[in-house]
Amino acid sequence: MEVLKADILILGAGGAGLFAALHAYDRNPRLKVVVATKGLIGKGGCSRMVQGGLNVVLNEKDSLENHFQDTLKGGGFINNQELAWTLVSDAPKAVHELEVKVGCFFDRGEDGKIHQKPFAGQSFDRTVHVADLTGIQLISRMTDQIYARNIQVLEETRGLDLLSSKDGHRIVGALLSDIRTGEIFVVNAKVTIVATGGCASMYKISAPSFDKTGDGMAICFRAGAEFVDMEMVQFHPTGLVAGRSRLNGSLLEEGLRGSGARLYNGLGERFMERYDPVRLERSTRDRVARSSFMEIMAGRGTENNAVYLDASHLGAEFVEQKFPGMVERVKDIGKDLAREKVEVTPTAHYQMGGVRIDTHCQSNLKGLLVCGEDAGGVHGANRLGGNGICDSTVYGRRAGDVAAALASEEDIHPYQETEAERMRMGWLRPFLRESGENVYEIRDEIEDLMWEKAGLLRTGNKLTEAAERLDYFLEKIDSANVAHRYLAHYNMEWNNIIDVTNLITVCRMVVNSARCREESRGAHYREDFPETDNEKWLINIYQTKGEGFHLNLTQKPVALNRFRRDDIEDRFFEKVKKK
Amino acid sequence: MCKPLQVKVFRFNPESDVAPKFDDFEVPVFDNMAVLDVVIHIQNYLDRSLSFRFSCRIGMCGSCAMYVNGRARLACRTQVSSLKTRDITIMPLPNFPIIRDLVVDMEPFFDKWKKIKPYYVPKRELDEPVTVQPNSNEREFIDDMLDCISCGCCYSACSMVATNKDYLGPAALNRAYTLIADKRDAIRVERLKVVDRSYGVWRCHTQFNCAEVCPKNIVPTRSIQNLKRRCVLKKFGIFK
Ligand SMILES: Cc1cc2nc3c(=O)[nH]c(=O)nc-3n(C[C@H](O)[C@H](O)[C@H](O)COP(=O)(O)OP(=O)(O)OC[C@H]3O[C@@H](n4cnc5c(N)ncnc54)[C@H](O)[C@@H]3O)c2cc1C
Ligand code: SF4
Ligand code: SF4
Ligand code: FES
Repeated sequence: MEVLKADILILGAGGAGLFAALHAYDRNPRLKVVVATKGLIGKGGCSRMVQGGLNVVLNEKDSLENHFQDTLKGGGFINNQELAWTLVSDAPKAVHELEVKVGCFFDRGEDGKIHQKPFAGQSFDRTVHVADLTGIQLISRMTDQIYARNIQVLEETRGLDLLSSKDGHRIVGALLSDIRTGEIFVVNAKVTIVATGGCASMYKISAPSFDKTGDGMAICFRAGAEFVDMEMVQFHPTGLVAGRSRLNGSLLEEGLRGSGARLYNGLGERFMERYDPVRLERSTRDRVARSSFMEIMAGRGTENNAVYLDASHLGAEFVEQKFPGMVERVKDIGKDLAREKVEVTPTAHYQMGGVRIDTHCQSNLKGLLVCGEDAGGVHGANRLGGNGICDSTVYGRRAGDVAAALASEEDIHPYQETEAERMRMGWLRPFLRESGENVYEIRDEIEDLMWEKAGLLRTGNKLTEAAERLDYFLEKIDSANVAHRYLAHYNMEWNNIIDVTNLITVCRMVVNSARCREESRGAHYREDFPETDNEKWLINIYQTKGEGFHLNLTQKPVALNRFRRDDIEDRFFEKVKKK
Repeated sequence: MCKPLQVKVFRFNPESDVAPKFDDFEVPVFDNMAVLDVVIHIQNYLDRSLSFRFSCRIGMCGSCAMYVNGRARLACRTQVSSLKTRDITIMPLPNFPIIRDLVVDMEPFFDKWKKIKPYYVPKRELDEPVTVQPNSNEREFIDDMLDCISCGCCYSACSMVATNKDYLGPAALNRAYTLIADKRDAIRVERLKVVDRSYGVWRCHTQFNCAEVCPKNIVPTRSIQNLKRRCVLKKFGIFK
């Protein structure tokens, strides 16, 4: 096997991976930084697809405390408070750097200053943006900055597994595969950063890009990383309904609701009046998505199992000017967002849970840093719109800085060759079989299973069923084969088998954790335990890999170190206080 | 109405094939079907060895450009119904080396992108975001041109690129314009020198093929015209 040596290996080139690379390099340009990405550089992942924008405190009438409080409220108070505080307090630095150093140009308001627009669940208009397709600018400009530096980029190269040192005490790089040639090789590195952007693509209706299949999480899991609150998967309320087309589930951005767009059920009722009479459509994502879903399940949806999003009363000119990208997308399905109501459905969007990290992106494994969507804890039970790309940029920068510091003092440790060889042979197995399971069928089944049993409305029974089915699928995918055995070269089917293996790995954690949490909070809703239970469940759920297929699960109380219980005046908590 | 599509797909594996060929597929149609849905259907259900590239499926990443019925387009943003025919021929983007089937090697495109120094270099004194009135002329039409998703459609449609392998091409020149017209940037003059060459702006024959195919409605020709004007100003020492 070919071996490439590096000081820092970064898996993933979304907002987190790119910022990590730029920061690591700028900290110490003598370091050899290697970035491997599954897509083309600057093209894969969801950072590129960010529409609405990024939350940051810039206005003097706003404050970090407000942003922090909104983030915790949105997160149902099980966020890691240190991580959430770091998020809001580093965000102004990240945005400053994006404008002044990276060369982005955010939209300006009447006063000529950076414009901030309203998003749901926020006490202040604090979302900076570039029209309604912000990610294109962010990621294109960061990619351009990569070109200005001596950073090695491996495009269409995917991480397969992490490698450990001979003594097993640290992570020393990864096994990767070059998608174009099918070649599997090793990058032996002092520090490895995983930033592959999590996943929510295990659901029938979902918003992320195709290349996001939980790879990073699955890779970290297999290596022994500890995960937190994996049951917390966010569904965005306004996914476009487009039948069997891949456009189905793609997002109509939150700024629409932020600006006053309304939701109606099939009977023409503005149903949010019943679920959150105060905030209505500007309520947090978890509530709006769940409310829509409940309407649909109660038979009050449209004939396509959807609800309506109506922005037409805002004025066609306003909608066309503020949301040109959304108008154009809707036009693809023959509708006019500016002038008529459009069918939308909740769509799986974002994974709040992930690898447990500290504020330096350090995981429980030495030599392994994790940032962006692959990491958990920042957003608790529900992420606010605009806090996602904020997270990736804030923690990407941090991971880069920390990695540079570590790599400057650390030596390169050799990896275990036998382990690497065993892993390689494992991944190549689909080529060795004459016949076997069809990966596309398995993928379809998993997406349906997760949507029905582990989606917006969960019960203990449904989750138990899902857990059993997933174990079965894990065995099934292990005997999948590729139809064209002598074609390793850009073989999409083989890559899909790897994708689905990783997806199942992540699904198992989601389901296991969801089964454990016997209450409803944020994105996690149990029909059999519909109340939020602060007496019992101000708890984080941790998981690691156990023997064989087993998952080790532990619970720990949330550290309420900045915002204590008495300080929190959310509705759930008022109830507790009254008792 | 529901007659299936007759799809011809270009196949080529440079590792093993002597020459490319076309394979024919019959694909059922459904509502809102995009060309991307067509190739996914073929790959998932009819021929698992087909290769193509995509990621976002909503026209934001620029990964899925293909040559469909004689024109460069984004597969994900091209509705089958808009082609107004049941016969579809899908080929890789012209002017690029082929990796396999519909997947092209974008390297020549990005090599040229890198040549114009595509990265912003801040002026030393600028350490805060600048104040710009939205209705001022300060940004000219830069912001419209910044929407480029580097999909390569324009590059594949430009006849000057086809005949001159050194020509920088529409996308790289458009990127150069967005930086050269950006008053915040420190190396605008240096960059202008790179494009003020025979293989730079002067190669463009202003035929707008690039603008015709751009899925983001960018008009690289307009940026190139603006660069030409600045090159002339530079010659007279007026551009700083
Ligand atoms: C449609 C959409 C709209 C959104 N809008 C907003 C918004 O308005 N505001 C907001 O705050 N958030 C938004 N989000 C969420 C936001 O995009 C994510 O929170 C954020 O981009 C995650 O960044 P990341 O760097 O962690 O991962 P990503 O940007 O997803 O990048 C992941 C990278 O890893 C690569 N990769 C994947 N697997 C592998 C592997 N095995 N090996 C190597 N590389 C790999 C991918 O190719 C990609 O380069 C949106 C998400 C979506 C899907
Ligand atoms: S200018 Fe248009 S066609 Fe050319 S690369 Fe950019 S987006 Fe694609
Ligand atoms: S206008 Fe210029 S850049 Fe555009 S296609 Fe014609 S020659 Fe090429
Ligand atoms: S898949 Fe991203 S532009 Fe088509």
